[in-house]
Amino acid sequence: MKFPGTTCDYDVLKALGEAKVEAEIVRYKDLDPDRYSSVVIPGGFSFGDYLRAGSIAASTETMKMVKEMADQGKTVLGICNGFQILTESGLLKGGLLPNLKMRFISKWIYVKVVRDDTRLTKNLPKKVLRMPIAHAEGRFVLDGEEARRLMVFQYSNEKGEVSEDYNPNGSVLNIAGIANEEGNVIGLMPHPERASFPLTSVDGNVDGLLLLRGLRW
Amino acid sequence: MVNLSEYELDVARKRLGRDPNPAEVKVIDALWSEHCSYKSSKIFLRSFPSEGPRVVMGIEDWQDAGAVDIGDGYAIVLKVESHNHPSAVDPFNGAATGVGGIIRDIISKGATPIALLDMIRVGGLRDSRNKWLLKNIIAGIGFYGNSIGIPVVGGELSFDESFSDNPLVDVACVGIVKKDKIKPSVVKEPGLKLVLTGLTGIDGLGGASFASRKLSGENEIGAVQIADPFAGKIVMDVTLEVADKVEAIKDLGGGGLAVAVTEMANGLGARVYVDKVPLRVKDMSPEDIIISETQERMLFAVREENVDYVCRAFEYYEYPCAVIGEISADSVIRFIYEGKEIASLPSELLLSPPLYAWPIREKARKIDVKPNVELEQAVRSVLTHPDQASKEWAYSQFDYEVGTSTVVKPGEADSAVVSLPNGKLLAIKGDANPDLCAEDAYECGKAIFAEAYRNLAVVGARGVAAVDHLQFGDPRKPEIYSNFVDAVRGIGEAARFFSIPIVGGKVSFYNENKNGVPIKPTPLVVMAGLVEGKLLKPKVEEGALVLIGYTRNEMRGSLFAKLFGPHGEVPKVRLQEDYLASEVVLDLINQGIITFVKDVNRGGLVGTLMAVLSKGYSAKVDPDKVLGTDDLMAKLFSENGGRFIAITNSPESVVERAKRRGVIASVIGEVKKEGNYLEIGSRKLNVEREVEHYLNYLEEELSD
Repeated sequence: MKFPGTTCDYDVLKALGEAKVEAEIVRYKDLDPDRYSSVVIPGGFSFGDYLRAGSIAASTETMKMVKEMADQGKTVLGICNGFQILTESGLLKGGLLPNLKMRFISKWIYVKVVRDDTRLTKNLPKKVLRMPIAHAEGRFVLDGEEARRLMVFQYSNEKGEVSEDYNPNGSVLNIAGIANEEGNVIGLMPHPERASFPLTSVDGNVDGLLLLRGLRW
Repeated sequence: MVNLSEYELDVARKRLGRDPNPAEVKVIDALWSEHCSYKSSKIFLRSFPSEGPRVVMGIEDWQDAGAVDIGDGYAIVLKVESHNHPSAVDPFNGAATGVGGIIRDIISKGATPIALLDMIRVGGLRDSRNKWLLKNIIAGIGFYGNSIGIPVVGGELSFDESFSDNPLVDVACVGIVKKDKIKPSVVKEPGLKLVLTGLTGIDGLGGASFASRKLSGENEIGAVQIADPFAGKIVMDVTLEVADKVEAIKDLGGGGLAVAVTEMANGLGARVYVDKVPLRVKDMSPEDIIISETQERMLFAVREENVDYVCRAFEYYEYPCAVIGEISADSVIRFIYEGKEIASLPSELLLSPPLYAWPIREKARKIDVKPNVELEQAVRSVLTHPDQASKEWAYSQFDYEVGTSTVVKPGEADSAVVSLPNGKLLAIKGDANPDLCAEDAYECGKAIFAEAYRNLAVVGARGVAAVDHLQFGDPRKPEIYSNFVDAVRGIGEAARFFSIPIVGGKVSFYNENKNGVPIKPTPLVVMAGLVEGKLLKPKVEEGALVLIGYTRNEMRGSLFAKLFGPHGEVPKVRLQEDYLASEVVLDLINQGIITFVKDVNRGGLVGTLMAVLSKGYSAKVDPDKVLGTDDLMAKLFSENGGRFIAITNSPESVVERAKRRGVIASVIGEVKKEGNYLEIGSRKLNVEREVEHYLNYLEEELSD
């Protein structure tokens, strides 16, 4: 899905190709939900992220259709700004606030998979993945109990140890991504598409593909 | 706000045969501003080599950006720009609009921007205003680059008191385009419609004129454009979408519509109906509409039958698009408002401003006495100079991974490397050296070009194209103009030596603070190259430390001299040494003999070793093995060119391979993963605190 201001659409398309997922870029006014089994909302600055990140995109007709797709059990993945759009539109619980350092942060981090009943993580129990983050508003907030139940990814170290030392933005419980109860709507701040190519990935890892392959139908 | 001199007004009067009216004076002022017309620099810029087998579009054509063939039917487009004056007044918007402007120069060739570099120079951070400037410059670059989705993959950040009040904010952009799809910025036939996208506002009024004089210290904020990267993203996406259906594309930069229309007409005429220009605010005067430098606007020359197609593409995103006039055959640029001609000026008059060659006078140089500094103090001072500190604080604010093409990332090597759609790898680097240029702008011009060449070699690339940016004070001051001419000569000489065409450039004069104190002369070279064999991502590992090249006792202009007093000779640039040593490095990379290599530059051998020490390693150096001078301080801190350090497991092989090309290399020590020490002969210094400083200096100085 390409909103005005989406910047990662081609990267996601490229990575989906690498993951052998058939995909195409659809501009936001042109979505025909019946044609697709899944939808990815890539990162970027939809509508300039004016007001609050993701809030304008969340109120478009497009997102109503995405919600219908989610209700039908189709897979909806939001990456970075896509995650922000999913929380702003109520498809996912919680919210994303400015990073504690109040500035954009771009770096490679580790996340641990803590929920393996979602479309993307079903084969990855307790797996530690290396991916980059790049965001200014990634501090996830949600009430403790619910957050614990819905969280899918937690910022960790290489060994999967979760502590405040590895929390890049101040998210509650080090949360890097969550899903809905059913596990078909997933949002995460790190960019799996940027960890899908050996040449451009740090240390040549392709951990992102492990997630994106979950979109194969 | 008009900047034309009495003499220039008189020239205009004579050539027109009448007095220009007030609107016409503003149009002439915009076109003839130093910023747009290069009137003090043009005759010297003509001396640059701009031709070559790879050049598809060079400086000669006066296009928005030059283009170079890289094979497989592709070309890269390369350009450098600055936003120094606006960044001094409003650093966030100034820096942000600089990014937007350079991106639009690239897309006006029909090319997709793929990488940005930013080169920043500010005063020391003890001054809270400099802190404020730097924070907002970095935030502004990030704001625009991140939002528009073009990765900032590298750059420079350095400090010098001469940039207090007047920071230098350079930004370079590389784009990629199919060779046969490159768009011109000029038209060749009358009758084409002029289509303008974007809203015109009251920001950036007289910006080009503003940038063509020194900072006044008064409130000049109205001359700064306000950045809107979201609009910029739409303009970029749609421009690339419609590029096939237009005849010429031009970015609205300095001088606004007045300059864009005149340059696009390129000697032909144009009729512009000013009341057709979509406005952001009501009641703008026609003169202001003509010279406003509001960002995120593009001008297209379009065949009548394609106008609907072009405008509909913008309207999908609810972005304004209007036909504002047409190209005419009569060689007169006319601006018409409410049916009345408010300006009517011959193209020829506007496109040929008076050109100047100002008097020059060389500054006399003194040879001062060598400072008496203790070794340990010198080492620690050099290692903790702000220029040496890790720049992670800055680049972590940029989305350098967007595009999934950043192969060698910021901070990883002397150059950045991005992958291209044809599978090739492109290395890019920008280099300047104001301390050296302040001593000898001619040697410095050669030195920065050679340095950029060496910087590309360390990742396995050979340079194929360069652009330059010449930044100085007031050209009417003979010593400053002398520096300018010297720098041009030096850069041109090096470019010819390496056979690397200069495909574009920019000149920025009047970089002086409100007291009339000029910046150190700061020419800057940005070079792009291709990895022809293997790529090296330099990685620090245990092994032997080899120094490739001779070390000379030429200390003037070095960081050592900056810290402890100027003395000695200016380093002479021996381009042959830079070339041969680079060839050795490429050979070693392709043979897989080295794991790490770095150009010796800032801080000399000791400064360069910070790249090793900061990874938590120890380095041992035997000064007796450093060849070329007996002076210990020169061995450790000289910044003469033609040198690299490398880490290898087969040192003899490195020395042997260098020798075969007529280059001297010597095994000067070793790198170990034992503690964090720098050993120089019998002296063993613990450098944990210096490494700590390296890692945390900017973060600590600049965090709230």
